[in-house]
Amino acid sequence: MRVTFQQELAELERALQGEAHLVVRSLRGALGALQRQDVELAEEVIAFDDEVDRQYFAIQSGIQELLARQTPVAIDLRLVLAMLHVNLHLERAADYCVTIAKLVKLAQALEGDASLVEGLEEMGNRAEEMLVVALESFADRDLERAELLVDLDELIDTANRRLVHDVLALGGNPELREWGLRMILVSRCLERIGDHAVDIGEQTAFLITGEFREFTDASHPDGSSATR
Amino acid sequence: MPDTETELVRIGGVSREDPAGRARNLPPPEQRETVFDVRDLTVSYSGVPALKNVSLQVHRNLVTAFIGPSGCGKSTFIRCFNRMNDLIPGAAMEGTILYHDEDLYGRQVDAVEVRKRIGMVFQKPNPFPKSIYDNVAFGPRVLGLTDGLDDRVERALRQAALWDEVGGRLKEGALSLSGGQQQRLCIARCLAVEPDVILMDEPASALDPISTTHIEDLMHELKRDYTIVIVTHNMQQAARVADVTAFFSVEVAADGRRTGVLVEYDATPKIFTNPEDKRTEDYVTGRFG
Repeated sequence: MRVTFQQELAELERALQGEAHLVVRSLRGALGALQRQDVELAEEVIAFDDEVDRQYFAIQSGIQELLARQTPVAIDLRLVLAMLHVNLHLERAADYCVTIAKLVKLAQALEGDASLVEGLEEMGNRAEEMLVVALESFADRDLERAELLVDLDELIDTANRRLVHDVLALGGNPELREWGLRMILVSRCLERIGDHAVDIGEQTAFLITGEFREFTDASHPDGSSATR
Repeated sequence: MPDTETELVRIGGVSREDPAGRARNLPPPEQRETVFDVRDLTVSYSGVPALKNVSLQVHRNLVTAFIGPSGCGKSTFIRCFNRMNDLIPGAAMEGTILYHDEDLYGRQVDAVEVRKRIGMVFQKPNPFPKSIYDNVAFGPRVLGLTDGLDDRVERALRQAALWDEVGGRLKEGALSLSGGQQQRLCIARCLAVEPDVILMDEPASALDPISTTHIEDLMHELKRDYTIVIVTHNMQQAARVADVTAFFSVEVAADGRRTGVLVEYDATPKIFTNPEDKRTEDYVTGRFG
């Protein structure tokens, strides 16, 4: 048994889960800033991205070193490759949190609509739930649970479409319209975080089955490509 | 996922643990204790230099690997560390090797004492045709360390990760063991006299992959207590086990004379991900020769 190698793999996976925790914190911060129009918190979220990036680079270089030194094969190789992808998805998700925080700053002086913000909060909670499901099913090697991400994503996508209608219904007040446009982008960011969670689920499937497939894709929106 | 129950009003700070948790990360050079300090070493056989102008330091509690193609002088070099070259007629050495700040080749230094402090494990397992026990007890007996000999033998066998396999049959002949077990027995024999440094010259090249894994895992264990220097032609083995790696190459003179030189010496991850010297890169990527 290659003890050191297995330890290194486990440490990298722990670091990846640590990074996910940072991303969830960042998302919470962004949603809190949105809810309370808290510019100071938005600034914190933006600065906090350095922490995520630090973790991202550390994992990236850990994987590079592991590949160079340990020549992983079979399930170990799939784990390393999956971690490389998950690392990137997490870093991207954190970037969307930063974008939300910046939009909060841009919208701070504008008149808004409370019920619409509530809808965004709900989307944000779903996005957070998806990240948690994605990372837990990765950790547990739970394919069935990873595949649930497709259904969860459907909910977020629906909410995203509904929000566009809600913004259009806000009426002709220019200030409200500008605010609404910012919120469409917030909605889009949350929807993308959900997509990254689905992609992490696909990496879980690859890790377990050894076959790469997209759970759904644009040319097979009904998910028919998911059959093996 | 870690706890995500409580909603944070503020994002808060982050504990700065080493994210990838790489426990075997090297201490910075200024915190490393030097065991061997080699200065401008040239070794010749019958007046012909086999290895020239090598300077490097070997640090405590690290695994240091010497790699390079045949004829690069890596085996010649490791033999300088326990004065094995003294035994080869015609071998001559210029330059100095300091061992814990003392000249290893100083006139007052006893070569036998040196070989007690600096043990060596060879490519082919070479147990004596005696019992398992007597093999391990051999060194201590020679040195008169016979008090608590049974404990000493057991401790050495445990350190060499062999006790579980042979603890119940110490009186059996060492030659009945498998090749991998014999090699670990030789490591135990080396450990029984409580050396400071363990030199390993291709310790796994005669072993099957499972036995090789045993030896490599063992090196990770042993470096907590010992300083390990290994010569290997198996690059991946150096990548797996070594903290620092020295790459040696061969220089061919106009008259065809071949001499080993030290090309690059750095942390192992550096050597295998982004070496400084083109010759190192060509060797580790398999473009050499």
